[in-house]
Amino acid sequence: MKITFTLNMDVIEHEVEPNITLLKMLREDFDLTGAKEGCGGGECGACTILLNGKPVVSCLMLAVQADGQEIITIEGLARGEVLDELQKTFISTGALQCGYCTPGMIMTAKGLLAENPDPTREEIKTALSGNLCRCTGYKRIIEAVESAAKSNG
Amino acid sequence: MKSFEYFKVKTVAEAISRLRDNPDGSHILNGGTDLIIRMKENHLHPDRVIDIRGIEGFSDINFSEKEGLFIGACVTLGEMAHHKSVVEHYSLLADAAEMVGSGQIRNAATMTGNLCNASPLADTATPALVLNAVVIVEGLTGEKEIPVNEFFKGVRRTSLEKTDVVKGIRIPYEANLQGSFHKASRRKDVDLSTVCASGVKIGDEYRLALGAVAPTPIRLPQVEKFLRGKEINQNTIKQALDLIDEEISPIDDVRSTKEFRTHLAKVLVQRCLEQMV
Repeated sequence: MKITFTLNMDVIEHEVEPNITLLKMLREDFDLTGAKEGCGGGECGACTILLNGKPVVSCLMLAVQADGQEIITIEGLARGEVLDELQKTFISTGALQCGYCTPGMIMTAKGLLAENPDPTREEIKTALSGNLCRCTGYKRIIEAVESAAKSNG
Repeated sequence: MKSFEYFKVKTVAEAISRLRDNPDGSHILNGGTDLIIRMKENHLHPDRVIDIRGIEGFSDINFSEKEGLFIGACVTLGEMAHHKSVVEHYSLLADAAEMVGSGQIRNAATMTGNLCNASPLADTATPALVLNAVVIVEGLTGEKEIPVNEFFKGVRRTSLEKTDVVKGIRIPYEANLQGSFHKASRRKDVDLSTVCASGVKIGDEYRLALGAVAPTPIRLPQVEKFLRGKEINQNTIKQALDLIDEEISPIDDVRSTKEFRTHLAKVLVQRCLEQMV
C-alpha cells in the first residue's frame, strides 16, 4: 500500500505492507535504527518516536497509519553536526551506559519539554515512567532532562 | 503479524459497509495499543482491519451542562485526561485515564477502545459505570445508545453487533457530583489494575463500581441500596464493606489472588466513601 508522510521534515512516498509496524518500517526500509524494539508490547518505550509532536510507541502502530502524519525519530533531532540540547545534556551528564533505551528516553523527554518547558523533577519522572533503563538507575537521565530544560529556558 | 487488508475509512457508512462485507473477519482499528499486540501474538488475525481514525467528528470532545460530555471514539486518553471540562466536572474520569499505560500509550489509546476491549480491569470502565455513561453506536439499522451498565457482557465481550461502529461516549452532567477513582497495582505507573474502583455521590445517592473482581467491571447495587440516604461515617462504611463479599467474584491470576483482591476491593471502596465525607 502506498503512503505519504513526513519523516524528519522530508515528505516521503513509500510502498509498505499493512502488517508491518511503523518501527519495522523505520528500521528496515529507512535504516533509521535509533528506535529500538525492546519489549514489542508498549511497556519499555525503547521505540518511542514523535507522531505529530507527541511521543508514541512505534511498535504498536502500523506503518500504514503514518499516512498523512508527521513522524520525527531520534535521527531527526540534530541539525547537521549540531546536536539537540537533550542529546548534548545526555552526553554531558553521562545519562547512558549501554545506550539501548537512550533514543526512546530522549524522544519522550522531547515531547515533555515541548509541552512543559520547565518541568519539576516529579513531572520528569512521571513523563519517563513508560521508558525502562536497566543500566543507569535513572538518576542521571532525570538530571539530563532538567539540564536541557534549563539550557532551553 | 499475519497479512490483512487495510481500509482507512472516511465515513461511518463506509466503515459499516466494510464490516458488513465480512463481519466475522473484520476488526476495527482505533488507537491500536491493544489490537496490534493481540495481532502480533496471533490471538487475533483479522482478514481486514478498518481504521476509523480518519472519520470526521471522531476526534471531537465537547461539553455543555445541558448535553453533558461527548468524547469522540478517537479522542486519545491523554487528550481527554487533560481536557479542561473533564478535569473540572469529571475529575475521576481524568484520574482514571491518566492511570492507563504510559504517556506514549495514552497518546494513542482511547476510552472507546478501552470500553470496547471489555477487559474486566479496564481503567475507564468504573468511572463510566458510576457516571451512567452512554455508548453512542451506529449500526445497520441506524443510531442507537447503549447505557454502559448494559454494555459489558463478559470477558472481552460487549453487547455490540459485529457491524456496529462506536461513535463516542456521552456522559451526563451532574452539578453536585463528588467522586473519585482509586487503583491498586503492583507498581505505580504503567501497570494493569489489580483492582480499581470508582465512587460518586449525587445528593443522597451513592454509586460504586469495581474492576478486576468479576468477569466484567461491575456496579455494587446492594451496597448502593444500603447507603442511599445515609450519612457516611465509620459505622455505615463498615456495614457497607461487609456487603461487598456478596457482590464480587474475584479470581487468582498472575497479578493477584482471590483473597487479596477481596481485601483490596474493600480498601478501595472505603477510600471512595471516605472521599465523600
